[in-house]
Amino acid sequence: MIDLVGLIAPNILWILAIVIGGTLISISVHFIPVGGAPAAMAQATGIGTGTVMLAAGAGIAGIIAAGSVMDLNQDIGVVLGAAAVGAAVMLAATMIVATWIYAYGVGVMPVSAKVKYDPITKYRQDLYVSKGTEGHGIPTVAYVSSTIGGLLGGLGAGLAYYALMKVGTYAYAGVIPLEVHNLNLVGVVATFTIGFFFINSVIPSYNIVGTIEGFHDPKFKRWPKAAVASFLASIPLGIVAVIAVGALAFVGGL
Amino acid sequence: MSEHKMIPPNTLAAFGIVGGLVGIYLAYFLSPMNPIFLFFGALGAVCASIWGADVVRRVASYGLGTGVPSIGMLALGMGIIAVLFGLSLSLGPAGPLVAFIISCVIGAIIGIISVKVVGMTIPIMVRSTTEIAGAGAILILGFSIVIAGSLDYGAVVKEVITTGFIMMIYIAGGMAMLHPHNSNLGPDETQDRLLSLSAEKAGIAMVLTGLCSVAGMGTIAVTMLIGVFIWYVGFNKYYGFVKRDAYKVVDIGMLPTEEEMA
Repeated sequence: MIDLVGLIAPNILWILAIVIGGTLISISVHFIPVGGAPAAMAQATGIGTGTVMLAAGAGIAGIIAAGSVMDLNQDIGVVLGAAAVGAAVMLAATMIVATWIYAYGVGVMPVSAKVKYDPITKYRQDLYVSKGTEGHGIPTVAYVSSTIGGLLGGLGAGLAYYALMKVGTYAYAGVIPLEVHNLNLVGVVATFTIGFFFINSVIPSYNIVGTIEGFHDPKFKRWPKAAVASFLASIPLGIVAVIAVGALAFVGGL
Repeated sequence: MSEHKMIPPNTLAAFGIVGGLVGIYLAYFLSPMNPIFLFFGALGAVCASIWGADVVRRVASYGLGTGVPSIGMLALGMGIIAVLFGLSLSLGPAGPLVAFIISCVIGAIIGIISVKVVGMTIPIMVRSTTEIAGAGAILILGFSIVIAGSLDYGAVVKEVITTGFIMMIYIAGGMAMLHPHNSNLGPDETQDRLLSLSAEKAGIAMVLTGLCSVAGMGTIAVTMLIGVFIWYVGFNKYYGFVKRDAYKVVDIGMLPTEEEMA
């Protein structure tokens, strides 16, 4: 049995960071335009897949960016920045390719059905929505919204990753501290962060009932509910994660 | 749907919990004698995945609004966190049981939060997330013991997590839980057809985990063979149920050749 108090006490700050990371991930999902199955048939605005897949894809890209940077530079700003940009680039790349497919493959124009004028380009939207659909493609406002979502989600994932790496490399009493290069530590932290990201992207996707267009969508106003839910859910997850990652140092990093 | 006999939820839950834990503990205690017995762990995981598929079926038929995969990913996410926590406490044989209980607790917390805070109206939400997290934990434990050869925290971290096989368990195991409902949902959905598909998917996951095992050729061969057998039985049963439930199965022959088209 490992020393639980000695593990949790020095890491209260990092548990808080994990909880904030989970909340950020939860908010980020509200920015990402997902249309689910209707969007896959170009009958709803957004990318044609589920929230969880898209948000998790962005989150994992963020974790990969954070992990590879953390190996070289342990500055919190650099790690979080890399994670945020990594996730945002992943989403932006997904959306530009999706836009090409919608425009040149499916033959529909990017248009939002939720607003009359695109809040960013001020272009008229409602005239171009095909009959019987709820918009199609990824209009500019959804694109910008999703990039913001990627930045936030990556930031959340990076924060959770950074916090857990700090927990793993902390010098506990009578224990040799681990290095950031320890592969087992990186593996456990990355696995945890991915599981954590999945949980915190499912909770908000229940909140938006599967589809959203971005920050101009009326459903976006529901975000505080999901943020509170993820905040509460992340507290036990954060404690459990800190114990499991910290225990690696106690067994000598293997 | 009513003309078919349904297996009640409690029976399937008992099947998943008892079958899963017995499988894991048989593998745990018998593997020091001969590593071939590790395949019991994968059998436990198959039991858990059938249980999980039934829970997904019950909860997702209320309409989650987000697609069925979300709840499968949620299950495995909770399972992974609970399993790593349970094993990291270094409790020896109690580890898997603690991991299972912790995952149920995490599942209940997430369920209560999604009902009370997010405001989901599914009446069985709390029970479902609890059950599905437990099924996810047993599934990960069962497949992990096959790959790592033991449930020692160090062995699992080195052989399952650091090698990245955990992601294969995550997706292949998640498939066994979420895919059956995702592909069978609708008004003509029947429980036996869905569960046979889950067994078939779990068989594929068992073949893959057997291939990744570090416990020697004997374990790899036995686990993969049993996995192929489960896949074969599951697939044939599923095909039989599809034929039973379909209005008519028509053989359309091969695609017409170019000359026939002209």
